[in-house]
Amino acid sequence: MAYSFPEEVLEHVFSFIHTDKDRNAISVVCKSWYEVERWSRRRVFVGNCYAVSPGIVIRRFPELRSVALKGKPHFADFNLVPEGWGGNVFPWIATMTRAYPMLEELRLKRMVVTDESLELISRSFKNFKVLVLFSCEGFSTDGLAAIAANCRNLRELDLRESEVDDLSGHWLTHFPDSCTSLVSLNISCLGSEVSFSALERLVGRCPNLRTLRLNRAVPLERLPNLLHRAPQLVELGTGAYTAEPRPEVFSSLEGAFANCKELKSLSGFWDVVPDYLPSIYSICSGITSLNLSYATIQSPDLVKLVTQCPNLQRLWVLDYIEDSGLEALAAHCKDLQELRVFPSEPYGAEPNVALTEQGLVSVSEGCPKLHSVLYFCRQMTNAALVSIAKNRPNMTRFRLCILEPETPDYQTMEPLDVGFGAIVEHCKELRRLSLSGLLTDRMFDYIGTHAKKLEMLSVAFAGDSDLGLHHVLSGCESLRKLEIRDCPWGDKALLANAAKLETMRSLWMSSCSVSYGACKLLGQKMPRLNVEVIDERGPPDSRPESCLVEKLYIYRSVAGPRLDMPSFVRTMDEDSELRLS
Amino acid sequence: MITLRSSDGETFDLDEVVAVELQTIKNMMEDGCAESVIPVPNVEGKILAKVIEYCKKHVKSTAKAEEHALSDADLKAWDSDFIKLDQATLFDLIMAANYLDIKSLLDLLCQTVANMIKGKSPEEIRQIFNIKNDFTPEEEQEIRRENQWAFQ
Repeated sequence: MAYSFPEEVLEHVFSFIHTDKDRNAISVVCKSWYEVERWSRRRVFVGNCYAVSPGIVIRRFPELRSVALKGKPHFADFNLVPEGWGGNVFPWIATMTRAYPMLEELRLKRMVVTDESLELISRSFKNFKVLVLFSCEGFSTDGLAAIAANCRNLRELDLRESEVDDLSGHWLTHFPDSCTSLVSLNISCLGSEVSFSALERLVGRCPNLRTLRLNRAVPLERLPNLLHRAPQLVELGTGAYTAEPRPEVFSSLEGAFANCKELKSLSGFWDVVPDYLPSIYSICSGITSLNLSYATIQSPDLVKLVTQCPNLQRLWVLDYIEDSGLEALAAHCKDLQELRVFPSEPYGAEPNVALTEQGLVSVSEGCPKLHSVLYFCRQMTNAALVSIAKNRPNMTRFRLCILEPETPDYQTMEPLDVGFGAIVEHCKELRRLSLSGLLTDRMFDYIGTHAKKLEMLSVAFAGDSDLGLHHVLSGCESLRKLEIRDCPWGDKALLANAAKLETMRSLWMSSCSVSYGACKLLGQKMPRLNVEVIDERGPPDSRPESCLVEKLYIYRSVAGPRLDMPSFVRTMDEDSELRLS
Repeated sequence: MITLRSSDGETFDLDEVVAVELQTIKNMMEDGCAESVIPVPNVEGKILAKVIEYCKKHVKSTAKAEEHALSDADLKAWDSDFIKLDQATLFDLIMAANYLDIKSLLDLLCQTVANMIKGKSPEEIRQIFNIKNDFTPEEEQEIRRENQWAFQ
């Protein structure tokens, strides 16, 4: 007996279904479900802004309230994507102003956002509430002033890690006195001093403010006043944590922190002076997330702080913590789930701190819930990796960055194949992996054989031949993003696994061994892939087919080749034969 | 006292305070068109019985009701038991709750159906609801492609 609910009942049922996967599943059930679903979908996540066009999105989903877009590939973080490559949000904003006057939320990552876009957003969406610009660029504080002035119901303004043309801190004064709706404000990436009195008044009149991430220019002496106005804060990023040692400043800080009984997350701590750290001790027992990646303090002070936080779940810290500090972490913070250790002197020739593979092994032994790791170091052994793998089969994200490329196991001088092989073999839930050190094709055989749930893989300076790439592309069933630099991988593996590329979001290859000829072939064979060659050496017209491409970005798209490519980016498709010959 | 009569002739007596939980009935009472016996032609007896059982439990507190009022946690537990039904009854109940316009019951039932859908593939969903796939293979492939490539 078939059941057909009336549309309003279906819509009501769908209002309880939120994840992208579930919404996508129900859209395919039958025609009427497709229709009800598309009219009732309120949020989309577009993982690659060029995989679809604004026109397609607004035609399919006429009533969106929340849009998330990602632009440049991840390797843009390492300056591998040239300036002017793309990822401009303006065409999206222009289209959405017509289609979604009720848009409430915009979350952008690695996109180019101009002041013009920000001004358009601030004027077009009457109910705009959330703006998150994660690792974006292209705008100035003038654009921010427009957002502050015109978005009457703004709840979230988060500029994390964006590059802002910081003309002055004056933009903050554009928040009208009537603005009381802020829940989250993150200005930590800004350089200039904002008006402190405007900031204090803003913080004071927003009773629902739970996240406040200040920038470095907010001096320590100003912090107590801010905290007193927002004792309900859950997440705080301090400014510079430095001042002349003065007892009244210290006790003022201490008192202000003691009053913030809801605090769970701390960050900031630029230029931190160890004498001032104890001012936060009273709230440490509630802290679950600590970002000390700007805190240039030494191991003993780090240890003192970290051991005050028994409920710590996430720690981001510089390698000043050293092996001894990580051992203490392992002993005291049994709830730790995520650890990121950043290099204090990545370009130094010699190690400046006593941080080795042992630190990571200690944490993997002592912290049963640890599942996400980003670890920069200078040396590693297969034995250590095998220990880590066996200790933590629950690992889901493992990114190891040995600073010097092609570094072998320092004890045996062997490649690190066996060690990383153990990681993929034991950690069956591994979704993200970044490799480093000396690795041969054998490593990639292990990956292809075992890493069945792996979704994202980053490889640099590794492998011997195309076989390595072939193992990955043919074996990793769940692979969505693959990014490769400086590996001797090329045409054969790419062409043999052309179909695989349609099952992935994207592939990035730079300084590898892929020829123009292969790119053209791939583009012709797979018309639904955008095979984009990035070549800053000038037009490739006169180059022989065998010439190697500098950088290659391949992604599947339902929108065809993009129309906004700069001169140094070309799509290799059927037409490229005509253009290039 | 209000009397409701189901499609198959069963009658149910309700206190007014319970009857107003059913927005459709409440509207009729307020409009003055509520007769001594109100027919509910779309809903059969065994389903109407369940609806009334739910409304009696959830009736807003009055002086009388407070003696029997349950805590939020107890009510939630009662609700979880209430929805342990076979699929046909569940679906009939949704239709009844929709027709009689009982918001809290409709929310509960729709959430229950939503939970049956979450995490399932389209094929599984079609099976559960006995729905015929009326897309051509090409149409379906195109939507799936757009879903996976653009919106995931």
